[in-house]
Amino acid sequence: MAQRPRRQLVSDALMVVLPPAGFFAASFFYNNQLLLLTMMVYVALAQGLNVIFGFTGYLPFGYVGFFGAGAYGTALSVHFLHVPILVAVLLGGVAGLLVAALLSPLLRLTGAYFAIASLAAAEALYYLVSNPQLTAVTNGPYGVNLASVYNSGAAFDAAVILVGIAMLCVVWVRRSHFGMSLRAIRADPLSARMAGVNVVRARTIAWLISASLAGLAGAIYAWAISVFYPEAVFDLSISVFAIVFALFGGVGTVLGPLLGAIVLYGVYNYIGVSQPQEFQLIYGVLIVLIVLFLPNGLLSIRLRRLRRGR
Amino acid sequence: MLWLFALIAGILFGLYYALAALGLNLIFGVMRMVNLAHGDVIMLGGFAAVLLFDRLGINPLITVLLVIPPSLLVGFVAYYLLGTRVQRSRDPEMMSLVMFFGVSQVVEALAVIGFGNNEASITSAVFGSKPFSIAGQGVPGAWLVSAGVGLAALILLFVYLYHTGLGRATRAIMSNADEARAVGVNPDRISAITFGIGVGLAAIAGIFSLFMIGGTTPSEGVGLTVTAFAVIVIGGLGSPMGTFLGGIVFGLALMFTQTYAPVWSGFAPFAILLVIMLVRPTGLMGRSVRSV
Amino acid sequence: MDDSPALRISGLTRSFGGLPALAGVDLELRRGEVVGLLGPNGSGKTTLINVISGVYRPTAGRVEVMGHDATGSAPEGLVRLGLNRTFQTPRPFRTLTLRENVSVALRHGRNPGQSEDEILQLCGLGGKGNLLAESLNSSEQKRLDLARALATGPDVLLVDELAAGMRHDELDGAAELLRGLAAAGRALLVVEHLMGFVRQVTHRVVVLNAGAAIFAGSLEEASQDPRVVEVFLGA
Repeated sequence: MAQRPRRQLVSDALMVVLPPAGFFAASFFYNNQLLLLTMMVYVALAQGLNVIFGFTGYLPFGYVGFFGAGAYGTALSVHFLHVPILVAVLLGGVAGLLVAALLSPLLRLTGAYFAIASLAAAEALYYLVSNPQLTAVTNGPYGVNLASVYNSGAAFDAAVILVGIAMLCVVWVRRSHFGMSLRAIRADPLSARMAGVNVVRARTIAWLISASLAGLAGAIYAWAISVFYPEAVFDLSISVFAIVFALFGGVGTVLGPLLGAIVLYGVYNYIGVSQPQEFQLIYGVLIVLIVLFLPNGLLSIRLRRLRRGR
Repeated sequence: MLWLFALIAGILFGLYYALAALGLNLIFGVMRMVNLAHGDVIMLGGFAAVLLFDRLGINPLITVLLVIPPSLLVGFVAYYLLGTRVQRSRDPEMMSLVMFFGVSQVVEALAVIGFGNNEASITSAVFGSKPFSIAGQGVPGAWLVSAGVGLAALILLFVYLYHTGLGRATRAIMSNADEARAVGVNPDRISAITFGIGVGLAAIAGIFSLFMIGGTTPSEGVGLTVTAFAVIVIGGLGSPMGTFLGGIVFGLALMFTQTYAPVWSGFAPFAILLVIMLVRPTGLMGRSVRSV
Repeated sequence: MDDSPALRISGLTRSFGGLPALAGVDLELRRGEVVGLLGPNGSGKTTLINVISGVYRPTAGRVEVMGHDATGSAPEGLVRLGLNRTFQTPRPFRTLTLRENVSVALRHGRNPGQSEDEILQLCGLGGKGNLLAESLNSSEQKRLDLARALATGPDVLLVDELAAGMRHDELDGAAELLRGLAAAGRALLVVEHLMGFVRQVTHRVVVLNAGAAIFAGSLEEASQDPRVVEVFLGA
């Protein structure tokens, strides 16, 4: 009996440590650092989406809004607060958190309404940030330049740490009593309240964790690419990618979104990104096929086989 | 007299936006599925009108009739191919949402591949180049035609739902699918027909999007879906009468924003949707969308 | 022990779209007492439990739990005051194991000083802690509902048709369980249709009809009361 928890502790620790270590090691063998960094950013996004969608059932189509908020939070911190870049990156995460706190009333909405309301929120945020009247603050539609703090090596290391944080968040949610409450809420919200769970608070915490991860991802991405336009960091396809990666691997699992991001983003780049619409087509078809034939993701195949084998 | 113009334009655009949202609402009412590819069908309707006009000189009003048969067919096939399966899944609401999100991506990608990533449009002069005068305000003929088609679609849908056998069966399913089945209504057949009608209405809305929203581009679908969703949330989901009201409210809000604060007109539809969802989630008339 | 009622409701009213489902119900429950809530279908029994437990807000009236005003409180607030319930159609966390079902409640309620396995054992679900709740039959799921409620350490327990659907050999155990819970100082309100079970378990009964309490007293008196007889046998 005492063996099992210890073995689980070890495997949990490995799941937190190995993915960032793997990316770090990969940087010595593979010289396209920006590709690896972007892949790590997507791992964080897929896991962040996993926290809210996989454990509460709330699907934010507008997840990219937090990513964009993180990118702009960092840029504004650099330009107006003149803080060191690492602090600015953290403030990017805080920006995602604040936007999520502001939008937390959306959690009162159910399924489809929440999904679409979050999409509207991301679009509203995009139009706000890119508004010519706010040029003095956000530089409006003309984008942001972070060349003064550019440091690709440091940004890469930050992304490695981000992957570790994302894995830690998901492992914690998966194993903790908090995660158990979330699963209970998902199974039956009224019963969860009858078990004494503060449903609104639990969902809000998951929402804030999820948004902070996306904020940090946006912050590091902004740091790494250094020059960007608002439409680049509020691009809906970032939401699409995060959703596809998470769904493909399997939401509600620890490893699924990680595998989804690595496999699908790897394939995406292996074939080449010269024709984005062809990937949009492939990913669109993939979403439809996953829903119709593999609603629990890639990992469910393995689980099913294991269960049968036992 | 800026406000008078905004008022008249708001009502005309309101009728158009009601048309743009009608299909989404109808499909939701019957199937409890949000067709996230709705905006993409609108986009396709726009391209159909442009192609038929450019290549064959077909007037957009004729195109209205031409898009109906293929739309019904596409709706039928899509429902039996995708809809039935997802409706029997464990969580139809979320699963259909994700699936139609995928469909929307597919349609958008195919449109880029087929039509290129360019804007396509028809000159609004097809409906007369001289503005018509309403209460002293000059209004383009294309706006009147679009609003008129919107009004006609509303009336026809109302007649269909309340004065035909199929329409009555449709309403029976809207209020309670199980009871409707018990009295001999076949939900799959009605759902397929409804899906076809919903797609058709979206395609018709697409034809006039060329004059009301501006030229059509493959990537405009998502924004249009959100706009249509805003309209039905304002009016209340599931109620065709609510869609009419929602369209008018949305049209007025948009026109007054465009008149008095034009740089915020991109921001406005999304902000309106958010405010409505948080302040009055049941819409002006309709059922609750909040959770426990 | 304190003699004030564990649960006191007065003038409790709830309307749905203008139609009253409860019309001014008064009721008191004392510690150690099991009260049966009787009435024909649609008389408002489950609505009463839903309003007391915070699922619906009352349109008017007052709810006091252990001397605290709890009118309009959310379910989780009532749980903290010491009230819980089971559902007529059981609502366990289907995708969680039995032990997890109870564990969630243990973490968030008032600690009853028992472990997950002890509570499951008490409710006749011993040895099934690792099963998923969805694998249980409906009578087991009802007992799991009860176990989850008990795990929050309630002083007041509303039990909605626990015995319905149980096999005959399970009924005695269930009755003994409910009597034992009351004997330990809890107040129980029990909705039940099986008269034998009601007789076995309750100290007194309240009869609802059309949202109003038309009788309060012993089961014997109830069976002779002309209003009660009319309600149950039809006019």
